[in-house]
Amino acid sequence: MTAPAEHTRRILVVEDEPHLAAGVVENLRAEGYEVESVADGRRALDWLGASSCGLVLLDVMLPEVDGFTVCRSMRERGDNTPVLFLTARGDPADRVRGLEAGGDDYLAKPFHLQELLLRVRAILRRWDWYQSASAAEGAVLRFGGNEVDFRAFRARSWNGVAQELTEKEAMILKVLAERPGEIVSREDLLERVWGYDVFPSTRTVDNFILRLRKRFERDPANPRHFLTVWGVGYRFLTEGEP
Amino acid sequence: MKTPRVFQLTALALVLVSTVQVGWWLFDQHRLAVEKLQEMRQVYAQQVIAAQALLDTGTAAARVSALMPGIIVTGRRAALSPNVDRQLLGEERRRIAQYAWESSFFILALAACIAVIARALRAEVRVIEEQESFLALVSHQFKTPLASLQLSLETMAMRPLSQEQSRTLIERMLSDLARMEGMVTQILESMRLDRGRIELRREPVDLAGAVARVVAGIEPRAAKDRIGISVDIERGLEVSADPLALDVILRNLLENALAAVTPVGGGTVALTARRTAGEIELAVRDSGVGFPPADAARLFQKFTRLHPGGGGSRGTGLGLYIVKRLMQLGGGRVGAQSAGAGQGATFVLAWPASEPRDRGLLGQGGEPDSMAGPQAGRERS
Repeated sequence: MTAPAEHTRRILVVEDEPHLAAGVVENLRAEGYEVESVADGRRALDWLGASSCGLVLLDVMLPEVDGFTVCRSMRERGDNTPVLFLTARGDPADRVRGLEAGGDDYLAKPFHLQELLLRVRAILRRWDWYQSASAAEGAVLRFGGNEVDFRAFRARSWNGVAQELTEKEAMILKVLAERPGEIVSREDLLERVWGYDVFPSTRTVDNFILRLRKRFERDPANPRHFLTVWGVGYRFLTEGEP
Repeated sequence: MKTPRVFQLTALALVLVSTVQVGWWLFDQHRLAVEKLQEMRQVYAQQVIAAQALLDTGTAAARVSALMPGIIVTGRRAALSPNVDRQLLGEERRRIAQYAWESSFFILALAACIAVIARALRAEVRVIEEQESFLALVSHQFKTPLASLQLSLETMAMRPLSQEQSRTLIERMLSDLARMEGMVTQILESMRLDRGRIELRREPVDLAGAVARVVAGIEPRAAKDRIGISVDIERGLEVSADPLALDVILRNLLENALAAVTPVGGGTVALTARRTAGEIELAVRDSGVGFPPADAARLFQKFTRLHPGGGGSRGTGLGLYIVKRLMQLGGGRVGAQSAGAGQGATFVLAWPASEPRDRGLLGQGGEPDSMAGPQAGRERS
């Protein structure tokens, strides 16, 4: 197993337009990242099957296999490497499709170099944090009969059902579990997990909390671990509210 | 934009309402006729009863017949005259036949109106959809070179670069600009071809000369990408074509060949021509990426890009579409063959070998070939 810090500096660029690919690769290298580049979706999946990296910069319109499919296939085979979509189709519906496919962020072409670098840095920082926080003693969380393995993105809920967590669910749980009993605001969760203005509203966070309740609460309508603090955010209790 | 649509929909609604109205009117008339005839039958039946009553009270048969013309008396029994019965039956049949004809006529006429309006509406929707997808595709095509251009410029602004690095970026930017310029030209060209507002001349053009001019313009770039272009066309072979259109066709076909050969790291493009029965054929054979044979027809559709990877930095997906349209408008044809991916491809242009002739006023007084740009064909005024 590679230590997290080694491959989180490595980025895979999947872009079929040679000029754009070259420009992105050169700039990322200049920032000190280790960069690999492939020009189609099939080669991207092959590369990811054999190696690992801290971030995939993924074009959507690709030959062979398109970017959305690449991302979906990654998630299906349990690869939770963050994905930043780069695409010429910047309309909101497309953005949503990208995020639904399991992408972490979305940047429309043409983009600003500074913004690209900023987003790359933010995603890698979050991923870095998650990986180091999930190392050793932070790897497993137990509460109310549930057991969560942060490194494998797997969990077993109180009724013995095996759960596959998405990267975002695991990250939200991680942020909450780091501060048990404390109030964590929605903005705080957005900042720590998404880090950028990918989602326009804090409602997204609410939806993820609902999903976590469904997975881990005995009675999701009367939560004992994921408590809402009205108007502010959430509080996580490992012991459960009496 | 919206008013004609509202108008069309209103008209459609009116025609539909009218159809229902005509249907109801016919049904109602028919019902009324049947009712009237039944009433008359009842009246006659009552007359028969009344006549019988008169006979029974001893009234003379002749007097009864005179009072009630529709009644005949045989012995002391009154009955309805068979003539009246026949008349009533005849009237009923006549009316039913009349309604059947009238209703078929009106319904057919109204159905024709509905069909015409619905067809217009559908055509309009299709045009709008086509325009939208065209716009979406065009903007997508532009965003890529724009993104590349912006990235290069911002890189130059942000980082200290060596002279060599700067030169690389400048070359990249110039090529992105050239690509965008080419795209604008191709889009305008394809739009004009779509509208069909193009009149092509037909005059004898020396094929070898036309090919040589285009090849000369493209050869330096081909050489840089390690692509050898060979031409084998007998002198004096003439095709009946528009010189400007032919120039655009050849250039697009050669660009396509280069785009197919560049990704495999170089190769050859061979142009050969021959006279066949009734046609003159020009074949452009490349040793490039090829394509699955099933894709042969799709190649000539708008925005098809089978190899966007390598030479794709130039491809707009319009080149072969323009080739096909210009060949069609000029009375020729174009086809493509490949044994499969990685097997190279052959594109064949064919012109009918008929006697060259000049067509119409627009053919008079040609323009010099040096103007042979993408603006092939002249718009009809």
